[in-house]
Amino acid sequence: MKILLVEDNPQVAQFVRKGLTEAGHAVDHADNGRDGLFLASSETYDVLVLDRMLPGGIDGLGIIEALRRTGNTTPILILSALADVDERIRGLKAGGDDYLTKPFAFGELEARLVALARRGQSASQDTVLKAGDLSLDILSRKASRAGKAIALKPREYKLLEYLMRHAGQVVTRTMLLENVWDYHFDPQTNVIDVHISNLRQKIDAGFERPLLHTVRGAGYRLSEDA
Amino acid sequence: MPRVLRSTAMRLALVFASLFMVAALLLAGLLWWSTAGYLDRETDAVIAADTRAIGDRLSDFGLAGAVQTMNERIAADADQRAIYLLTDPRLRPLGGNVDAWPLKVGARPGWYEIELVHRDRLHVSRLLHVILPGNYQLLVGRDVQDRVEIRNLFLRGLAWAGLAAVAFALFGAWLIRRAVERRIEGINRTATAIVQGDLARRVPLRNTDDEFDQLVATINRMLDQMQQLIEGVRNVSNAIAHDLRTPLAETRARLEGLLRQPAGAEASLDGIAGAIADIDRLIGVFNALLRLAELDTGLRRAGFARIDLTALVEDAVELYAPAAEARGIALTSAASPGLSITGDRHLLAQAVGNLLDNAVKYTPAGGSIHLTAGPAEDGGIAITVADSGPGIPEAERGKAIQRFYRGDASRHAEGVGLGLSLVDAVARLHGGELRLEANNPGLLAVLALPPSA
Repeated sequence: MKILLVEDNPQVAQFVRKGLTEAGHAVDHADNGRDGLFLASSETYDVLVLDRMLPGGIDGLGIIEALRRTGNTTPILILSALADVDERIRGLKAGGDDYLTKPFAFGELEARLVALARRGQSASQDTVLKAGDLSLDILSRKASRAGKAIALKPREYKLLEYLMRHAGQVVTRTMLLENVWDYHFDPQTNVIDVHISNLRQKIDAGFERPLLHTVRGAGYRLSEDA
Repeated sequence: MPRVLRSTAMRLALVFASLFMVAALLLAGLLWWSTAGYLDRETDAVIAADTRAIGDRLSDFGLAGAVQTMNERIAADADQRAIYLLTDPRLRPLGGNVDAWPLKVGARPGWYEIELVHRDRLHVSRLLHVILPGNYQLLVGRDVQDRVEIRNLFLRGLAWAGLAAVAFALFGAWLIRRAVERRIEGINRTATAIVQGDLARRVPLRNTDDEFDQLVATINRMLDQMQQLIEGVRNVSNAIAHDLRTPLAETRARLEGLLRQPAGAEASLDGIAGAIADIDRLIGVFNALLRLAELDTGLRRAGFARIDLTALVEDAVELYAPAAEARGIALTSAASPGLSITGDRHLLAQAVGNLLDNAVKYTPAGGSIHLTAGPAEDGGIAITVADSGPGIPEAERGKAIQRFYRGDASRHAEGVGLGLSLVDAVARLHGGELRLEANNPGLLAVLALPPSA
């Protein structure tokens, strides 16, 4: 993926850039709003990472608004030290696609960037989602693996649908909380892990190859390969 | 403006004094008009009637008739106050009881009030000068010396009374000022003491339930709240200092240990992961503190909307059910259908989540948690979470809501002691409250939301 990072804090910028480069992405970096807007509008990126508060006369929200006005629909993740829910809403209203509060775990950032970039690429119109021999029919809301029907509770269905739409990608606990439950707080108990292990019971138990993997320190991944 | 006039009390008192004096003057004027004024008007009417009568006589019976009438009237005047003088056009007297035309009465007819020698007495007299047919000059009047004296007496009395009124008004003003200043002095002294650091000081009440007492009661309530807040801040600062030092010290020790290990050792990777986990916990604490601060300002009310509380509660139960089950705890719920409230969906979800989180954390395996949501007795909505855990001793329940409080039972459990504070803050943002009660055994947490919300 080709990623533009607009971040004025040198430590954060170096940390993100190094991490993303090591993960195999091409990263351009601007340390102020003006240069960031110039790069974002002159080059083509898969996803943009913008800090909220930037020097250079134009801040993160300003860049987003300027890009969206010119019809640029590149997915944008906002990085911000402003944790208020209201700030988050403002960021998303301005045209941002996701919002991550500093400090953050690198795994969280990467997982969200991959999810954003994929969403930009393929707005899948398929009515049946597939991962290996697991398939999920969106119309009839039925899941089956190797032809064997799997009974799912409504929430388990939503959870599996989200995982399958992001098959092959890492999804974090917060991504699941936000997208499957629409919760924007961090439960202290490992509630998500238990939901995942229940789902794993249903889709993996009795099969030789597990599909739902735990990615240490990051989250989960649904994919054929381990 | 002179300093004395800058006093609100003094100004108030002076305004009242002025009003008082205006009222007194009006009263005196009315009195005058209806007593002395009435007599004056009567006298004038009598004089006018006399001149008309004599004029009629002159035209009917000639000069002799007029003079006769005058003489009759003079004779009949027992008080000897009547004054008559009829002269020819050249002012030579023809009849009456005045010797010569008074110099002070001019040629023009009309009313005069002059000093006149009459019956050897120099008295103030009220006179009417008319010119009769034939250019005869008629002067009719009354000696009004008595009335003038009464009038002067009245005016003098009025002047003294006015002076007394001013004196009383000023004295009253001073009294009011002193009273107001005394009451304000109490407030002032208390405020000064508080500024100097004596937060426990309160304005003394007089138990008169007057406006000042009501004000003082309000001020005292405000001071109570301020003191509570300041102590809260103080406690939180202390708690932050103590509670955050421990994990920071652990992290520091861990990192220092790593520094002494050979590079790339498997143990050092675990150590780093541990240090990151420690820091994540600290970040969690800061996030919770920030959210509490945000809630305390009440600004979040801007994001209120109508929300389906039944669905919210059921979602929360659904989220925690597997976690409870995994720990061998039976989580059951009973939510009335169609509960709706104006509020912040995310915050209420977090509040209910925190209550369930606590319950799951402290309930031992084999225990049970029961959540209910439904109409409360006061017309509001109550969400209750009852568990069969160790509960909180009655004496500690108030403290349990305070920030960073950790009971003996939770001393070694995970968490930082902000969960219930947050629930309480969310409840208060919605105009409700969090109550902790005994569940025998266990804890019954009641999140009470008011009817209006």
